[in-house]
Parts: sequence; structure tokens; C-alpha cells
Amino acid sequence: MTLSLLAELIVMPLIAFVVGLALVLMMRRVRARIERRIGPPLLQPVYDIVKLYAKRTQVSHGIMHDLAIVMLLGGITTSVCFLPVPGLEGLARQGDLLTLVYLMMVPMLGLALGVGSCANPNGSIGISRALTAMLAYDVPFVFVVIGLAVAYGTTSLPEIIAHQQSGGIATWGAAEMPLLAIAGFIAMHAMLGKEPFEIYVAPAEIATGPMAEMSGKYMGALFVMQSFQLYTIGALYVTMFLGGGENWLTFLMKLFAVVFVSVALTNVYGRYKTDKVIRFMWTWPTGIALAGLALVMMH
Amino acid sequence: MSENAGSRNPLQLRDQPETCRTADAEERSAWQRVIGRFADNCRARSLFVLHYCTGCGAIELPPTITSRFDMERVGVSPMVTPRQADILLITGYVALKTLKRVILSYEQMQAPKYVIGFGSCTINGGMYWNSYATIKQLDQYIPTDLFIAGCMPRPEAVQEVFLELMRMIDAGKANAWRDYYRNYDHYLANQQALFGPQWHTPTDIVAEAKHYGLMGPGTTGPHTRLLDQHAEWALDRIPEDYPERGENERSER
Ligand code: SF4
Repeated sequence: MTLSLLAELIVMPLIAFVVGLALVLMMRRVRARIERRIGPPLLQPVYDIVKLYAKRTQVSHGIMHDLAIVMLLGGITTSVCFLPVPGLEGLARQGDLLTLVYLMMVPMLGLALGVGSCANPNGSIGISRALTAMLAYDVPFVFVVIGLAVAYGTTSLPEIIAHQQSGGIATWGAAEMPLLAIAGFIAMHAMLGKEPFEIYVAPAEIATGPMAEMSGKYMGALFVMQSFQLYTIGALYVTMFLGGGENWLTFLMKLFAVVFVSVALTNVYGRYKTDKVIRFMWTWPTGIALAGLALVMMH
Repeated sequence: MSENAGSRNPLQLRDQPETCRTADAEERSAWQRVIGRFADNCRARSLFVLHYCTGCGAIELPPTITSRFDMERVGVSPMVTPRQADILLITGYVALKTLKRVILSYEQMQAPKYVIGFGSCTINGGMYWNSYATIKQLDQYIPTDLFIAGCMPRPEAVQEVFLELMRMIDAGKANAWRDYYRNYDHYLANQQALFGPQWHTPTDIVAEAKHYGLMGPGTTGPHTRLLDQHAEWALDRIPEDYPERGENERSER
């Protein structure tokens, strides 16, 4: 029992990393196709990460900067272990949706601690914007989670998946609670930190904000985090609203479809201003999520 | 070097500097060589470029990046800060004021790093050859891997130079960045000739060279000693304004 659990805890992050790299590649290829380019070669995400980890010199900005990277990588690998995938449950029965929501905030808080010790003004602006964005998208997201908990009477992810898979597409979360699914999609798109909610990266404005001072291995860790992030958020959406995965094929198809829609949307928007992001997130997705919650409660 | 005089090769120069470079462990073991080969391979396929768009040549970069020529096909993509970048692309004439920023940016980049001089202006001054305000040869101030001739070079030439740089990195030959550490005194001398003996940057190149084992015969010299003097001078000034800070820094030394 413990041995198989240990094996799962090693395998799940590995799978997440590999699938995440494929998602990063898809993201860059989609962007290239929309701009009528060819895009990067198949192994580009791997080359980037190996190259960054193979840098000969590094700049550390103190112990907090180093610890931040540990916190960031720890946060994302742990959250992957709480996310059930076909055949592997990991820690999903020990934790639940709320645990996952907590864990998904850890990387961003870690980044905030690390960037704070860099003394780069672009980084500080970036991280303050990142925390503001978190405040903006977490409000609708929490309502979505409450809606789900009320509808299913549980926050356990395996049970939510089992319920959705009991009656085919008609019992998927997205079919039963379309309003919550829409609000959830917007909130989780904002979590990815892409346009139009890209306020804290903003390369042309604040020089990639939190990443401005990251070099070599630190930047490599952020590239790893990006691939995990795409996977976690996509897989969480699939779990919450698209019936999870019956098997690996359907799971990966749903996962890539969700992330595809998200990154395709990214390319047709510009960037909102910080205050516009908050105003938008606290009106539209929050309103939709509240309406969805009301509908769920009336049933 | 051992102090045992008996084992010393009599042909060896007596005053060989202690900075004489011994092969570090990673160059000796076969396993490390395999890893190094793999790393070079990946380095050649993933290049982040910091465009230092000083001159007119910058106008050729948008076509190079976007759909017509698409640099990302070969793994070259733009980056926004020197910390993240591998290539410093100097597109055109460099004024004296600009050169200071170029040097600061270059020193903030993490090795291995590469510099490409873009256009005649970086090679011999180009059409600004008799200007009082621009430098003539970029590689006198920072080590340059490759130049692109032309005023201005077409995107095809830019692509060609990226491919050539990739071949060099893959073969382990793009080592100009080591030269900056090994002959820092020479580059510093040229910089000081322009900016005066007070010239110094926030990055301590000598300390970095020591830390990463990149010292060479020309790392230190009369010009880096000026840097030390400047540091002494700055420390002497501190106690007037910040007594406590002066105390701390003195005890750290
Ligand atoms: S080489 Fe020609 S195009 Fe380039 S900066 Fe100099 S004058 Fe301008």
C-alpha cells in the first residue's frame, strides 16, 4: 500500500512534467501558427530547460531567493499529487479540492518572497501585480468551488469524478452547471497569467516582472513551473467540469482541448490594465459564478 | 602548484603566476565530457536574444523574428532582460554613453554568453568612422563572437550569423566570454581609456573569475588595481555619511 503510494508520488509529477512540456510546445506552436510562423521544433521546451540549467554562472540574491525556488517547485509538485488522473489517485483521497486550491497559491507566494529579495523595481511591481491578480481571480474561483461542493455534496475529487462519469456527457459538470463552468474557465484562464490577464508578466512594460532578475537555474525552475502550471490548471478544469478521464486517451484529449482553447484566446487579446482586470474579474465571472451558485442551491 | 622544488620541471618559468589554469574536474572525466557535449548541443538549440537596438539596424529585426523569416524555427527567441539572455545583439553604432550601458548589460548576463556585432558600425565605425561620439571597434570593449558586415545587413545575413553561432556553440568554439574573464585587464584598460580611471561597474568580474575558476594570465593587472583603489577610496568616504555601515564593511573585509 505505502510502496504503491510512494511509486505514485514519483510517477505523477513525472507524467505531469512530460505532459506539461507537450502543452508548452503546443502553446508556442499555436501562437506561431496564428502569427503565420512555423514555430519551435519538437524538443524546444527541453532544450530551453537543459540550456538554462547548464549555465556556468548564476546570480543568487540571498537565501530567500534560493528558498523561493524550493517553495515554488515544492508547491507545484505537491499539488500535482493531489490531482487524480486515470489509474493514479496519489493523495487525492487524503486531501480534497480545498487542499488543492490552497496548494496552488503556494508557488506564487514563494515567488513573491524570492522576488522581494532581488531589489529590482520591475520585479517588485510585477509581484505586487501578481498578488493583485490572485486577489482578482480567486474571488470567482472560490464561488465556483463552493458551487461544486454544494452540487455534489462533497469536495473529494475522486467522488466528483465518479459522479460525473456515472451518466456520460449529460452528467458532466459543464452540462449540469454551465454557468459555473463558464466562470470557472475565465478564472482559471486568469490563473495562467496570459493575455488578457497578463498584467504581471508584461514583457514590454515591466520586463517580465517577477522573472526580470531570474537567470540560469532560477529561470530554468520557472520554465519547469510553467509546464506544471499548464498541466495542473488544465487537469483541474477537466476534473471539475469535463468528467475527468475515463482513460488516458480521453483525459489527454480533454486536457489538450481545454488548454488549446485557452492559449488560442490568449493570442487575440491585448493586455488589460491592472485595475481593469480586478473590475472585470469581480463583475463578470463573479456575477456568473454567483448566478450559477444560486441555480445550484435552488435545485 | 606544489611548493616542492625538487619535483619542479627546470624548464618551467620560475615566476609562473599561481593563476595558471589547471584542467578542472569536469574536463577530465569521460562522463562529464558526455554531459558537456549534451549541454553544448542544447545550448546551440536554445538561444535567447537580448536586442540592444542602438542604431538603424534594429529595423531588420522584426522581419527576422516574425512570419517572413521566423527565428523561432531554429530555437532563437527574443528575451527582455540581460539576466535571461544568452546573446547580446548590438545592432549598429555605439555611442560612448551607450557603451556604458552595453557593458553593464553584458556583465549582468550569465555565462556562457555570446555577443554579435551587427553592421559595419560595430566593426570599424562604419559611416560614423570619424565621429567623436561613437566607438569604432566593439570587440575592444567587450569580447565579440561574430560580426555581421553590411550597412545594414539583411535578415538573411542575420539568420546566417545565428546558424554560424549555433555551429560554433555545438563545436564548443564560441568561447569569447571566457576571454572577458581571462583578459579582463585588457578590456578594462580600453574602457578606462574612454571613461577615465574612476570607471567601475557593479559586477565584480575578478571575483566571479576566481569563484568559477576562470582566472587567466590577464585577469588582473594595473587596471584592475585601479578598481581596488577605487573601492578603498569609496570605503574611506563612507564613515562621514554612514558611520555604522562603514564599520560593518570594514570588519567584513
Ligand atoms: S552599420 Fe549602417 S545601418 Fe548599421 S547602424 Fe551603422 S550606419 Fe546604421
